[in-house]
Amino acid sequence: MDKKKPSDNTLVGRRRWLPRFILAGNRTLHRRYIPFTRRTWFQGYAEVNPRNLVREYKLDDKRPWFWIVGLVLAFIIPMVIGTNLVYTAAITFAMYSAINLMWMLVIGTAGIFSLATLAVVGVSAYLTAWLSIDFGITWPMMLILGALIGLVVGVIIGLPALRIDGLYFALLTMGMVELCRVYVVSSKVFGAAQGGLYGADTFIPADWQFQTPGLVLGYVAAFCLMLLMLGIYRLVNGQRLGLLLATARESEATAEALGINYQLARLTVFVISSAALGFIGGFYAAYYKGASPALFSIDMVMLLFAMLVIGGIGRAEGAVVGTAVVVFIDKIFVEYGAIRLVIIGLIMLAVTLFARNGILGVRLQFVEFRNKTKSGRRAQRTEKGGEAMPEEATEIRDKDQIYFRRFDKRLREDLKKMVTPELIEEHRVKPLGQHSDSLERVLNYFRRAGGENKYVLYEISPGIEYKVVATTGIRGLLPRDVDDVVYTDKNEALHAVFLKRVQDLMES
Amino acid sequence: MDMFTLMSGLQLTCIYGILAIGVSIIWSSLGMLNLAHGFTFAVSGYGAWWAATTLGNSGWIVLGAGVATGGLVGLCIYFVAFLYIYDKPNYPIRALIATMAINMVGVQTLMWLFGPRMKSLPKVFGSGVVRLGEVVMTYGQMGTIICSVGTLGALLTWLGLSRRGLEIRAVMQNREGAALVGISLRTTALWVLVLTGALAGLAAVLLSQTFFVNPYAGLQPLIKGLIVALLGGLGSIGGAMIGALIIGFAEALTASYLGGQYVLMVQFGMIIAILLIRPRGIAGLLDESREE
Repeated sequence: MDKKKPSDNTLVGRRRWLPRFILAGNRTLHRRYIPFTRRTWFQGYAEVNPRNLVREYKLDDKRPWFWIVGLVLAFIIPMVIGTNLVYTAAITFAMYSAINLMWMLVIGTAGIFSLATLAVVGVSAYLTAWLSIDFGITWPMMLILGALIGLVVGVIIGLPALRIDGLYFALLTMGMVELCRVYVVSSKVFGAAQGGLYGADTFIPADWQFQTPGLVLGYVAAFCLMLLMLGIYRLVNGQRLGLLLATARESEATAEALGINYQLARLTVFVISSAALGFIGGFYAAYYKGASPALFSIDMVMLLFAMLVIGGIGRAEGAVVGTAVVVFIDKIFVEYGAIRLVIIGLIMLAVTLFARNGILGVRLQFVEFRNKTKSGRRAQRTEKGGEAMPEEATEIRDKDQIYFRRFDKRLREDLKKMVTPELIEEHRVKPLGQHSDSLERVLNYFRRAGGENKYVLYEISPGIEYKVVATTGIRGLLPRDVDDVVYTDKNEALHAVFLKRVQDLMES
Repeated sequence: MDMFTLMSGLQLTCIYGILAIGVSIIWSSLGMLNLAHGFTFAVSGYGAWWAATTLGNSGWIVLGAGVATGGLVGLCIYFVAFLYIYDKPNYPIRALIATMAINMVGVQTLMWLFGPRMKSLPKVFGSGVVRLGEVVMTYGQMGTIICSVGTLGALLTWLGLSRRGLEIRAVMQNREGAALVGISLRTTALWVLVLTGALAGLAAVLLSQTFFVNPYAGLQPLIKGLIVALLGGLGSIGGAMIGALIIGFAEALTASYLGGQYVLMVQFGMIIAILLIRPRGIAGLLDESREE
């Protein structure tokens, strides 16, 4: 996304939706900083609206606003609807978005194609649940221990990523997931018989279990978890580590040449996200009072991956929006059974076939497409005599230019009719002096033209050698040579200049 | 190792080899990891079953129907997941997701059409046993081994000798180079996808001699095919063969000595070990050495 301040000719005439804030004139340069940092809350620029001459403040980056509005809506909507089904779906949404945000960090920022994300959550959930059941640790400890477990697991899984990459690493992690699943399913300690390990400590009071207050508390907690993960995503992806890795994504060789140890940065990101996933695992165990082998199933991994792809890989919005779409279909249309998976599959197919990078990438793709078609149309239009077309005219600030160009075009059309072989012959015979009416008109037009790209005569040595040059129209910049023909006769040289100008006139 | 284990190991090797070579050829020639291969496999099983129930029980009909269905599904994948996006940005990941989506939609559609009940195919090669000295083989095992070895041999000969095979090999080596000498990627891709689809169809009929046809039948073979192809090194046919040998025998040995539930565990354990030693699979080359 283009974050620079849009220049005038890209801004004017495109009716962008921009929130505008009216400023007092002396507040233009006043900025509010985030305490203890040199960052401003929002990035924007002040300018005078040419229509009403009022100072306005426009936002450069509207994403913070979208985030705030979106998150507030996401928080409020389940509360407003308030059924248990919606709360369950909303909790799933918040938890999956938290997982997906961390996965996005692994795939998008670190560029490691790991399928073990959910498995880290699973390992941490199982271990914390086990610790809670057998050693009686409480839920805050489960969260902390979960993060520690995630850290350790992250180092174990992450180290091979230094050596193996791409699909091979995906296969390796898939193998690890399968190992975990088989172990959990067959191990007595982890509840092979009950289909999961249950009975851990939870932060939901006992008499709220499976009641609406319990669900509300669960949703608020899961939402806070998602906010925490958004914060971590922002800190890792938007700060130093993210920048280092962005360089490595563009070109690993360049990054290495710049002295960036991208392997270490990758591993760091992987370990950070694993620790966060372990935290989510602890939360999972503390909310569901345990863990289930579904955390290790490949179908589940694929469904989560579908969420990332539908949203768009490489951005936090993508993880959240993709999760929202899939969870909405998956949980709200529960009564339709397997058909909802077909719907999800078809959405995935449509998004991958038509969108370059998920739903969130559609806007950029459309802007690029529009710019492409627009410049194509404009190229066709400027051939029509250089007159400003209505669409182009909206982008020209100095409106006199539009009228001048229209006048100029009509004038040129008239003059073109006057240029005949006889007229050129008349000029060749007598470049200076009194001419016929039409030649005088043509010459007057040439003389009046601006200094830019105007053919003029240059005396190499006065009275002996001449050549044709074109002025630049910029003071101090020397004229450029047009050709290397040297004329000895001044009249001949004057006629050569005339011919060049006539040629340009006829071609315009 | 007793003879039964050896024979079932050999049988699995053949079937996994066919699947893995399909995955491997598609990857190296079209740059697309075909996750719909399992769906092709499942649909072919149903195609063969449908032919067996409506057209007749003859082995040729069942095999032919399986192969034809596989080819047809390959054609569909060509039109849906290749033709429209192969020259667009982010193609490899989009193709991966598109085939994954085809798999998801297709499996659910099969489920909806045919229900979760298993269908069994008729014994293509008849039932009975052959005794070769001490070795006892069922007709099914022998037929599978002969059929798949014959098909693979024919495929490799065709790839090596025919004009079209030359084109496919050229595209596998270097897509841009092939385009520069006038080989159409579209035409080659059509051939590759139909051919590998047909191979998956064959593998489906062969594997259904021992297992049953059901909507989810494709998942395990797909995982096995991917494992073998990656283990052998994507893009290497010889590597895929070695990988199939290792995985097939590991599966047969684990199943008979440790128990069926440990099969995937042992296989993945081996893969982790092998990938740690050779990060690009057994016969795979690092990207720098492979001409991309």
